[in-house]
Amino acid sequence: MTSISAAGSATGPAPYIYVTTRMRVRKSKLLPREEYLRMLNMSLPEITRIIEETQYKAEVDELSPSFSGIDLMEVALSWNLAKEYQKILEITPGRLKMFLQTYLRSWDIQNVLAILRGKSQGMRTGKIKEILIPAGSLDRITLDRLLAEDSPERVVEALKGERLFPVIEREFPAAQESGSFARMENELYKAYYADLIETARAGVKGGRAFLEYIRLEIDICNLQAAFRLRQGPLPEDARDMFIEGGEVKPDELVRLSAAEQPDELIETLQQRVGIDALGGLVDQIRGDAPIHEIENALTRLRLDKMTRISKRNVISIVTILDYLERKRFEVMNLRALARGKESNLPAERIQSYLVI
Amino acid sequence: MAVEVMTLEVAEASAKGLVAIGAGLAVGMAGLATAIAQYGIGTAAVGATAENKDIFGLVLVLTVIPETIVIFGLVVALLLLF
Repeated sequence: MTSISAAGSATGPAPYIYVTTRMRVRKSKLLPREEYLRMLNMSLPEITRIIEETQYKAEVDELSPSFSGIDLMEVALSWNLAKEYQKILEITPGRLKMFLQTYLRSWDIQNVLAILRGKSQGMRTGKIKEILIPAGSLDRITLDRLLAEDSPERVVEALKGERLFPVIEREFPAAQESGSFARMENELYKAYYADLIETARAGVKGGRAFLEYIRLEIDICNLQAAFRLRQGPLPEDARDMFIEGGEVKPDELVRLSAAEQPDELIETLQQRVGIDALGGLVDQIRGDAPIHEIENALTRLRLDKMTRISKRNVISIVTILDYLERKRFEVMNLRALARGKESNLPAERIQSYLVI
Repeated sequence: MAVEVMTLEVAEASAKGLVAIGAGLAVGMAGLATAIAQYGIGTAAVGATAENKDIFGLVLVLTVIPETIVIFGLVVALLLLF
């Protein structure tokens, strides 16, 4: 920690200004809403061609000998995302890098769970590899090593020494017995957010903005879970599904998810993000919109709030995270678009799955 | 105890000296202010150019704008000296 702050003070704020400017330029290059709407009326080959003309060209060219059609597009998109994240990690200086590394660990959780799930269902290694996005601290080589293990138990053993290991070791026997990794996933994310809050509170300069954003992310994530829980009877362990550390406490969330009417949930949401930010979301919730639309609306809300925080704290980690999250959703949108087109879904249906 | 008497020559010489110090301060401090301003703009300009090379000309102009501050300092210094 001391070496980080020493490096920071020796060079002043220059590296921070440099990297946040680059992020803002990159953000301006992301696909605008109109482009998605235009793509909705195109065929899959046309969409692939458009993607080839944008920042994804290098990956599409590189992978075109080994993949084709929808697979080419998916793999190219996730390669591009991983490369982009690693590149940003490379250029990010001092304390921002520390925050960023902690934040990107969510990809480790995603990748390790994908490997464990794939292995326990006996999927082919190549198939699992296609969905991995090595954007976190476990790089491509480490993931390949994990993939080469022949059973989920061996994968867990190979993770010894990694930050995820204590939680995985604790939860793995129960997960394997029940055949569901959902509880393990919840526990991993809880540990991840507790870690993030600890890092943000460690007293390093710039932690305040980071903390503000993490609490927002936790709250939105919890509210999404609350909306999801409302869809069916409340499970007994509902409290365990919520993440600690947000402004809305888990006990409160359990009560809200159990309530018959969504009024109180909407009120909590209004208090948390402000009435103006909600817009048409309230009508959507009252009108019993499908859950994925409510979730998407909440995600949009989170992204907008995030942009606001980043505008208030120009030279902060939130500016970088703002770009990273928007990039992630660009990739997810393009993937949803391509998948939807391949399955011949109507444009309106695909649009309801896009975060734009 | 020696009593110092300031003659006319001495007074004139020290007045000139003070003018020179004032001129120096005007240029020096304006230069520092320019440096501080250009520091931030220059860093952001390099960042933006790294992403998009086409805007190099534009950001160069933006980086040079704080140069006006030091020119003001220079003008004041010249007015003081001549």
